[in-house]
Amino acid sequence: MTDAVSLPLSGVRVIDLTVVWSGPGGTALLGDLGAEVIRVEDVHRSSRNISSKISRETAGKFRYHQSTFADGDPGDRPYDRCAIFNWHARNKLSVTMSLGEEAGKEAFLDLVAVSDLVIENNSPGVMEKLGLDYQTLAARNDRIVVVRMPPLGMSGPLSSYLGYGPNFNSLVGIAAMDGYEGEDPTTAGENYHMDEAAPGGVAFAAMAALWDREHTGRGQMIEFAQAENLLLEMGEYILDYQVNDRVPPIRGTSDPLLLQGVLATRDEDRWVVVSIRDGTEWKAVARIIGRDDLAFDDWPSRSAELLGAVEAWTRTQDAATVMSVLQAEGLPASEVMSETRLLADPHLESRQWFRTRSHPAIGTHRYLGHPWRVDAYDLAWGRPVPGFGEDNAYVYRDLLGYSEERYQELIASGMVGTRQFG
Amino acid sequence: MTETASDPVLPRQVLSGIRVIDLTRTVAGEFCTKIFADFGAEVIKVERPGTGSLTRWEGPFPDDVIDPERSALFLHLNTNKRSIALDFENSAGREVLLDLTASADLVVESFRPRSLERHGLGPSELQEVNPRVSVTRISNFGQTGPYRDHEATSIVLEAFGGPMNATGMKERPPQRKPGHLALYTVGRFAAVASMGNLMWARRTGKGAMADVAAAEVLLSGADRRAAYLLTGAYSGENAPRGHRSVHRGSATFTGPFPCRDGFVMIYVTTAAFWDRLIDLIHDGDEDFRSYFRGRQTLDTPEEWSRFMDGLLGWLARHDKVEIMTEAEARRIPVTAILDVGEVFHHEHYRERGSFVSAEHPRAGSLDYPGAPWRMRDGWALGSTAPLLGADTGDILDELGVPQQRRAVLRAEGVI
Repeated sequence: MTDAVSLPLSGVRVIDLTVVWSGPGGTALLGDLGAEVIRVEDVHRSSRNISSKISRETAGKFRYHQSTFADGDPGDRPYDRCAIFNWHARNKLSVTMSLGEEAGKEAFLDLVAVSDLVIENNSPGVMEKLGLDYQTLAARNDRIVVVRMPPLGMSGPLSSYLGYGPNFNSLVGIAAMDGYEGEDPTTAGENYHMDEAAPGGVAFAAMAALWDREHTGRGQMIEFAQAENLLLEMGEYILDYQVNDRVPPIRGTSDPLLLQGVLATRDEDRWVVVSIRDGTEWKAVARIIGRDDLAFDDWPSRSAELLGAVEAWTRTQDAATVMSVLQAEGLPASEVMSETRLLADPHLESRQWFRTRSHPAIGTHRYLGHPWRVDAYDLAWGRPVPGFGEDNAYVYRDLLGYSEERYQELIASGMVGTRQFG
Repeated sequence: MTETASDPVLPRQVLSGIRVIDLTRTVAGEFCTKIFADFGAEVIKVERPGTGSLTRWEGPFPDDVIDPERSALFLHLNTNKRSIALDFENSAGREVLLDLTASADLVVESFRPRSLERHGLGPSELQEVNPRVSVTRISNFGQTGPYRDHEATSIVLEAFGGPMNATGMKERPPQRKPGHLALYTVGRFAAVASMGNLMWARRTGKGAMADVAAAEVLLSGADRRAAYLLTGAYSGENAPRGHRSVHRGSATFTGPFPCRDGFVMIYVTTAAFWDRLIDLIHDGDEDFRSYFRGRQTLDTPEEWSRFMDGLLGWLARHDKVEIMTEAEARRIPVTAILDVGEVFHHEHYRERGSFVSAEHPRAGSLDYPGAPWRMRDGWALGSTAPLLGADTGDILDELGVPQQRRAVLRAEGVI
């Protein structure tokens, strides 16, 4: 770490081997806080969840998939232009290094020697097969912190099980309570909460290890079992199961303590949510909808009747009006926001949440703001996306101090490049 | 920083020595401070005398009988914390809170915006008594902007910030995620923001204030919300509801399906997985197998119904755990949908020690979720959630509040 302080993690260097969603989401947060996050990528392997072979034509077979590319066009560098990667790519650097090759492994260990953190979410066993287990990395740099993100942990009968976020949602009890109220779990929509939960946990764990290193002078390895991180969000149900011998039902949008639901408006497929916390709030709602005759007594058994009365009113309004009329009376309500509505939202505009950024491979577009903000410093807002291999020269020449001759050899060998063939 | 005063024999943990004042009363804030407490920080919950945290009243409760010392939500969210019952809206109580702040590294609050200021306890007043203290402010829509004073519950935040619009079935209303998951997400990000500010204070000697707007946390979500939103910015398209894995370009077959004794989650995203799935379910029907192997798409309703008949028929003849085991043997991402009870007893979690037993004076012995991640000197369950005001006397002792002043505070109902 250097002495320059402009952000909390200025001078902290992170080697980012993560792919897909949960890992990259975590390293993005460290970059927000000022860490230098270097994505180690491979010219021969897809590392951005995007095939290098995709074209406007092939993408166009799936309309929404095509839309994930800037201006709907994969261009000749699709891996630089896709929202599936770019949502988390802010502030990051990209270097190419093939860990399966001797020269790549050597460069990687050289990079470990000058870094603070390594974060990876490969399948269990991959790092060992590459000869890059924790002991090897620590032998090179005993201050290194290594975060590993196996979905179910590195031990236990299910540790090798293959799966994606929704699979692991199903192994922690979330999928069993997901769906429309009173129906079965096959009615559940897309739920990627597993991926939602890991980034913050990984960023916190990494910082806790850096904090600890100030005391001990030593790094360590963190086993971040993503399913166990999720179990923490099921705590009240896990205790309730032991006490009352019951499991949570599928509640859909309902809540045991609130009269609430998703209601239609006068516009097709535009919805609002309304949430009523007590009898006083119901009285205010009843006045607005012209149904003072309806009492709140025994609401849990009458929720369909009461919400139906509210919906009879919302069906005559547009979503924004429902929100503003109810909020003016201090009642919790919101439109169910689509992306295009959010991009035009006055509150986010007032907080300057979206920012316009440019990149030569992508053009100029609006990008998402940070998850939080701080008064004493602005979270980092550097380059929106690292072009693939864009930082090769910085890493090999400046950081690792390789000679120009050696650097050119690595380029000639094909390991160092700016195009991906995976 | 102060050394932990509560118990000198406690083993050192990574966050030992950090002192946190927890003014929060709901899920997001209490989860934020729980993460600090579970990794060794000293967390002092400041609770309103007589009623305490709102999560004490939310349950679920044993036999559904309300008891603020036995709310599962409170018990879970407040492990390893201490509790002082203190009314800081009263000026004498406010003085005690400022005394506590003087030795704190972090104050976390989740009142409505401007509430603390109204009691003379805004970030500037707190930092006046302790320039090193950081303040984390959790709110619905942030400390500024036209929606600053908007009211919200979890579903309102999810509707605005979360991926609700793209969640649910086609031709049906939007859905949400179950449980308190959205609020946990907000709390976890508040913890990250707080830890960032502690790193900042360690380097600069000065605390900082974090404005954690629940809506913006959810808008940034890796549950596809952020990717959907950037897609909207890139090409003006909204993610449709009721399509499986809509962001993927290749042929996929994903989702929850019924089987003999319950449900399984299938997540087939590659040609190799697809072929293995066909191999698994063809059940000796070589026609079926050769027809569907190698297919990237199914193009007609007849093809779809033939495939679905084959799949659902096979699933209906097998149990979920057997299906998961068979699928894993062939390396296909298919898992059993387990309920909370099945998770609680599962050999995987039991073997790993994913639940940790602890005794609470009113709730008895229960198994709590264990370490969210494992690290040297990391997570520990040192104490269960505090009874309301359990540590009031000890904390006032540590602050050196004289008995005489304490009697006055007690008489006025401040402590």
